[in-house]
Amino acid sequence: MPKPSRLLLPAALILLAYGFWNSAEFTRIAAGIAVFLFGMMALEEGFKAFTGGTLESLLRATTDRLWKSIGFGIVTTTLMQSSSLVSLITISFLSAGMIGLGAGIGIIIGSNLGTTSGAWLIAGLGLKVDISAYAMPLLVFGVIGLLQQSKPLKGAGYGLIGLGFLFLGIHYMKEGFEAFGSSFDLSAYAVPGYPGLFLFALIGLIVTVIMQSSHATLVLTITALAAGQITYENALALAIGANMGTTITALIGAVSANVEGRRLAAAHFIFNVTTGVVAIALIHPLRWVVDELAILLGIAAQDYMLKLALFHTLFNLLGLLLITPFVDRLVGFLERVVQVVPAAAEQPRYLNPSALEVPAAAVEAVRREVEHLYENAFGLIAHGLSLRRHVIRSEQPLASAVETTRRIMPLDVDDIYEDKIKGLHSAIIEFISQAQSRELPAAAADELYALRRASRAIVEAVKGMKHLHKNLSRYGLSANPAIRRQYDDLRLRTAGVLREIETLRAQPPDAVTMLSLDDVKLGLEKFDRHLNATLDELIRQRRITAKVATSLMNDGGYVHEIGRNLIDMAQIVFVPRTPDRQIAQQLALDEKDIERVLGDEHR
Amino acid sequence: MKTRKLLERLADFLDADKAAQQAEIKSIRKVLKKLKEKERNLREKLNEETDPDQLGAIAAKLDVVHAQRRKGLERVRAIRKGAEPIRDGD
Repeated sequence: MPKPSRLLLPAALILLAYGFWNSAEFTRIAAGIAVFLFGMMALEEGFKAFTGGTLESLLRATTDRLWKSIGFGIVTTTLMQSSSLVSLITISFLSAGMIGLGAGIGIIIGSNLGTTSGAWLIAGLGLKVDISAYAMPLLVFGVIGLLQQSKPLKGAGYGLIGLGFLFLGIHYMKEGFEAFGSSFDLSAYAVPGYPGLFLFALIGLIVTVIMQSSHATLVLTITALAAGQITYENALALAIGANMGTTITALIGAVSANVEGRRLAAAHFIFNVTTGVVAIALIHPLRWVVDELAILLGIAAQDYMLKLALFHTLFNLLGLLLITPFVDRLVGFLERVVQVVPAAAEQPRYLNPSALEVPAAAVEAVRREVEHLYENAFGLIAHGLSLRRHVIRSEQPLASAVETTRRIMPLDVDDIYEDKIKGLHSAIIEFISQAQSRELPAAAADELYALRRASRAIVEAVKGMKHLHKNLSRYGLSANPAIRRQYDDLRLRTAGVLREIETLRAQPPDAVTMLSLDDVKLGLEKFDRHLNATLDELIRQRRITAKVATSLMNDGGYVHEIGRNLIDMAQIVFVPRTPDRQIAQQLALDEKDIERVLGDEHR
Repeated sequence: MKTRKLLERLADFLDADKAAQQAEIKSIRKVLKKLKEKERNLREKLNEETDPDQLGAIAAKLDVVHAQRRKGLERVRAIRKGAEPIRDGD
């Protein structure tokens, strides 16, 4: 017996086909909805071409305060006419850690208000003029834009096509309802009072969930109202239902999101349901306010479409005023209630599929995840050296911390590698592959390639530590002072690299900071040469055996490998891709330069 | 004179390569200036430090900064000579 969910689509198609067969008006209305929805998809596609660097800088600049986040949500949704695209971008940046949950909630609140501009456009303009006349030139220019090579022109093309189809969709729905009215009077089925309020709110919610667009439900409502197919009272209820229905889509989408995405979807749900419940409870006072404001704004008493748009704006504004003072508490509540489910193996924190939608967010998500991987590797390497992380990060002299070690920390490197390193590295590689399968600007593609190298470098460093730890466990606390001294030096050198990288992270990310890694490179080369010379001397003096010397030489090689890999990683992850970084890369010392410096020292 | 100056400016504007070279030289000189300041600070520290290990570490950093500045100056000379193409980065 097939699952009920699998029967839904065929059942819907059959019902629609039956409707098309029996009613030309129904066909027109359904086609209008389809064309409208397609227009919204095209508009979203158009705006995606302009997301990235510009949007990212704008987001960073405008979301440090709650009122700015709300403003950002209002403006972007009004411009894009799509709260779902704004939600998508918000979740994308939230998942990548580029904005906090408070800012994300602010954007969603603002977006709810911004979406009401659509009702004004349709009620104020769309139904009063022959909107299809505007659609045709938009479609023509849009297709011309689509045929261009340039990404911005293609994006503009999609935008114009989107607008054109939006207008056409409204036109077909309007015509469909007008024709429908001549043969069938839906308003005869109007339900007055609170039963009607609840029933039509539920209808509005269900229709929005099916169409996945509150905008489309509103357009349907306004066109039906204009044709007299529904009463003003029932239209208000549909608008409230549409507002609540839009959160169901967000909740469904959040199932596959990371914890931040789920928190935002929960906030969206709480905000919209609270707004809806308050609107239902205060329906009569709100209607009174709408009537009074309509007089002030010069809206005719019988212009129910504009009054519906005014009602839509008003109850969303009410929701904004109610929730905004409690956003911080909401953030605290969500962080307590919506928790990360701990898994046996370390899970990626930032590699959310929604981050793939915007190239800048994808790059930032990968960069943060590689940083997360480095944190895990830092912990593993520190323990492998039998040093605590906070000691390496502190100002405490590393030499004394190393010398006073009395116990080699037990460490199952293989286990930790499987748990905290391999899984994350694999997830990073997979995410980068997915990102690179989409159309990316060259800079983003280059950065992802570099971050893949950085992730690999971290894994190589960990593997080096795995080898080093074997002999460290054996000889690290050797009774032979010469052996102990050499292994202390190996630990000190490796810990020194970790400390230098931590120091770099705390400094401003500019060219000079990046160039300071050359000090570490030089230190590693010097250490390598010094180690070989020292071992030769110790063998000659018979203070160590040749066997131990060989182990020390190999371990010196691992220290060198760990250091070089960590430096390569740091140059990519902790120094942002700016013109400064490019200059620093030109001035950074290569192997020949280091040889020259070492040669000059010996003269 | 006015016309000639205008034509020279127009030529510079149209000569994208030259503009890019000038921009690169300007960026390198900015970094070189910061490195010079870093070198000065390190020399001051070197004069004040007494611990032999620290002295060695500061001396090594000075060698590195000196080498980086030398490399930067060589790069500027090379760009001016036109011997090296403009590098785009990574």
